[in-house]
Amino acid sequence: MNKRIVLLLAALIVSGPASAADVVVIVNTLATAPTREQLADIYLGRSRAFTPLDQSESRPIYVEFYQKATGRDLAQVKAAWSRIVFAGRGVAPREMASAAAMKAAVAADPKAIGYIDKADLDASVKVALTLN
Amino acid sequence: MRHDDAPPGLNAAMTSGPSPVPGEGTGSLRQRLAALATPSILIAVLAVLVLALIWGMTLNLIAVEHAAAQEAAMVSTRKQTETYEAQLVRAVREIDQTLKLVGFVHASRPERNMLEALAARGLLPANMLFVVSIADREGHVVSSTRPSTTARTIDPEDFAHERQDDALWIGRPRKATGNREWQLQFGRRLAAADGSFDGVVVIEFDASYFVSVYEASRLGEHGMLGVLGTDGIMRVRRSGEVVSAADVVDYASVVPAESAESLTVAVTVNPWDGVKRYTGIQPLYEFPLAVIVGLSEDEQLAPTRQTTRTYLWRAAAGSVVLILVAAWLQRLSTQLALSRQRIADEQLAHAQRVEYLAYHDNLTGLPNRSLFSKLLGQSIHLAHRHDRQLAVMFLDLDRFKQVNDSLGHEAGDQLLKEVAARLRTCLRDSDTVARIGGDEFVALLPELDQQMYAATVAQKILSATARPFLLLGQEFRVTASIGISTYPQDGLDEQTLTKNADVAMYKAKEEGKNNFQFYSEKLNEHSLERLALESALRHALDRGEFQLHYQAKRDTRSGRISGMEALVRWQHPDLGTIAPMQFIPIAEETGLIVLIGHWVLATACRQNVAWHRGGLPSMTMAVNLTARQFFDEGLLPSLSSILAETGMDAHLLELEIHESLLMRNVDQTMKILTGLKRMGIRIAIDDFGIGYSSLSALRQFPLDTIKIDRSFIRDVANVADNKALTAAVIAMGHTLSLTVVAQGVETKEQADFLRQNECDEFQGFYLNKPVRADQMEALLREEVAAGRTEAEYLL
Repeated sequence: MNKRIVLLLAALIVSGPASAADVVVIVNTLATAPTREQLADIYLGRSRAFTPLDQSESRPIYVEFYQKATGRDLAQVKAAWSRIVFAGRGVAPREMASAAAMKAAVAADPKAIGYIDKADLDASVKVALTLN
Repeated sequence: MRHDDAPPGLNAAMTSGPSPVPGEGTGSLRQRLAALATPSILIAVLAVLVLALIWGMTLNLIAVEHAAAQEAAMVSTRKQTETYEAQLVRAVREIDQTLKLVGFVHASRPERNMLEALAARGLLPANMLFVVSIADREGHVVSSTRPSTTARTIDPEDFAHERQDDALWIGRPRKATGNREWQLQFGRRLAAADGSFDGVVVIEFDASYFVSVYEASRLGEHGMLGVLGTDGIMRVRRSGEVVSAADVVDYASVVPAESAESLTVAVTVNPWDGVKRYTGIQPLYEFPLAVIVGLSEDEQLAPTRQTTRTYLWRAAAGSVVLILVAAWLQRLSTQLALSRQRIADEQLAHAQRVEYLAYHDNLTGLPNRSLFSKLLGQSIHLAHRHDRQLAVMFLDLDRFKQVNDSLGHEAGDQLLKEVAARLRTCLRDSDTVARIGGDEFVALLPELDQQMYAATVAQKILSATARPFLLLGQEFRVTASIGISTYPQDGLDEQTLTKNADVAMYKAKEEGKNNFQFYSEKLNEHSLERLALESALRHALDRGEFQLHYQAKRDTRSGRISGMEALVRWQHPDLGTIAPMQFIPIAEETGLIVLIGHWVLATACRQNVAWHRGGLPSMTMAVNLTARQFFDEGLLPSLSSILAETGMDAHLLELEIHESLLMRNVDQTMKILTGLKRMGIRIAIDDFGIGYSSLSALRQFPLDTIKIDRSFIRDVANVADNKALTAAVIAMGHTLSLTVVAQGVETKEQADFLRQNECDEFQGFYLNKPVRADQMEALLREEVAAGRTEAEYLL
């Protein structure tokens, strides 16, 4: 619990006015964009239509994304993935070192799905959803 | 048995009622079986059986359900333990693989950003759940997949242990600063290229990871998942949403040695939280850990308990309904039984009443002849079997007919009732008294120890009867005559005994009444004669065996025939002529006298009229009346019809009645005499002088003639006293203006004496014997033709 509050505070401090900035969900340009419901399922491990990629937990966008995409707090998300991983039914989203790495991974894999700050968007990937 | 009891057959029927008497020895088993068959007991037994069935089935069902639920819980626990073990082994292996990988890479070419490189290639577990850190030889973290944890150090205690050992190290659960969640650390020793200790690699994660597969749908709110170290420290456990760790338990007691390597399932109270669970424990083969899966007994059996409650409620409701129905049936059955019983009682009562009426005398309530006959038969049988004596006692009231005649039948009935009541008080309970005819009673003394008892009873009865009765407001006395016969001396069968008692009773009557007589053989002969006479007498009138003789009465002075007395004679075809003194008492007793008397009167009157019409002078005709005739209600009407029928002049008819009759019932006598007088009939007192009549009473009665008793006349010539007395009687008769007649004159001396004393008429063998009608007629004609009296001639 403490950890989450710390993270939240950190996110607020780092992002500052940018906290209101849009998060975009990106997929491979060849891929069909998922709906919002599908997105939540994918990032809670309930759908295997896409391979979810993750940003570092220490970045502000991490908290914002999960809140907007799944409507859950991080503890709940973690619990969901814990169950899946422990039971061997899936693998938790892999953490990308940067937005660029995320874009590269998505561009390289038609099944990959990721999220970045709208500001970092370029043509290598396709915007599936914009979360705001 | 008392006389007012029901007959023996009925008594037997009454004592063996419908309900069996407990403790009755014979046939008690059958009675009990029969009692079982009565509806109420049958219903009760059935109800109990059905109740037992309901509850037996219910309890059995509950036991079965309970066993099934327990079995299901055990099976579920076993399966989930197996699944959980597989999941945990895989998860731990994955962690260990990562540790070994990092160790391998470190040993081959150690670099500072080794973890980042491995992570970039996806060779480390997801950052989201796991933090991989590397510490140097002193335990300081030098590299980590999560930079924020860099400051953390490895637990020094664990670290020290880790220096030498190359095995997988599993740390105790702990809470890192600023984190409320339990954390677990798994680690391995890092070796330098030369194999020397070069730090450790540690994977850290939330302890809850190991129990994340807890699902309430399978484990409930109070089930548990747990991972226990062989060191007795609980690495993590979860029950519902609550995750805890670090409990210290005695591993050996939780995981028994014999089951250390295999899965065991048992119901135990878990020492870490005190909850009773179906607990499955499986130690892991490769790691110093054991998985624990628990299902709360309370929770698992709750549905069964609910079902059990439902069953119990249903059974209870069923029982209540059953009991109500049984009670209702019981009530119906009881009512039915009661109404049946009532009907049976009524029928029995009716039958008893009918039987009672058939066997009892209506008037007195005493047994009647048929019941007595039955009882006597039984008593004889018993006396024979037990070699005992018994007595039969015949009793006849001596003056009953007079009561009936003078006071009426109602008074007679009342007298009989009273006599019956008195007889009862004279007898023991075992004795019986019955009424077998008008005024005839018979008593049976079945337990006769000695004849004295019979005599005592007879004497008691005589005394009791002799006490005055109060009838119609006036005191009245009767006496009884009793005859006694005893078994076996006087007879061996019912008929003989009763007949002989009857014979003895007649003897008592002859002995002057108001006494009792025992039967004897001699009596029997005498009595047989009497019985034969009685029987013959009943037919004598029809067969024309009676005839009248006439005895002339003569005037004392003229010697001429002045009248005659009609005397009845019985000419029996076998026995010859039977004297009136032999058969008149029998006729009187049997009542035949009324018929016979009527015949005598009618015949005498007819004869008298015939003679008169035949040219003979009119003469008085005297006819005797007995007491019974005199008091018979039909006397006056009968007389008037005879007079009318024969044309007889009433003044020529003289009725002779016995002196003793006058004093018996003065009022009644006066009434009858007055009636006779009114018709013009003359009245004579027969056998005057021996009946102790009071002179004053004599004066009241409307008499015409007195006939001096023959006992006076017999000695009148010799005994001075009799002379004086006879003279006085003649004088008294004249004073009362009565005609005085002397009876039984047999000698000339007697006749002379009477003439001297101015007796009016005389009668006797001296001049005339009683003769047949034709002889009498001849005599009369002779006298008329001679024109003189035989008396003159003779005198």
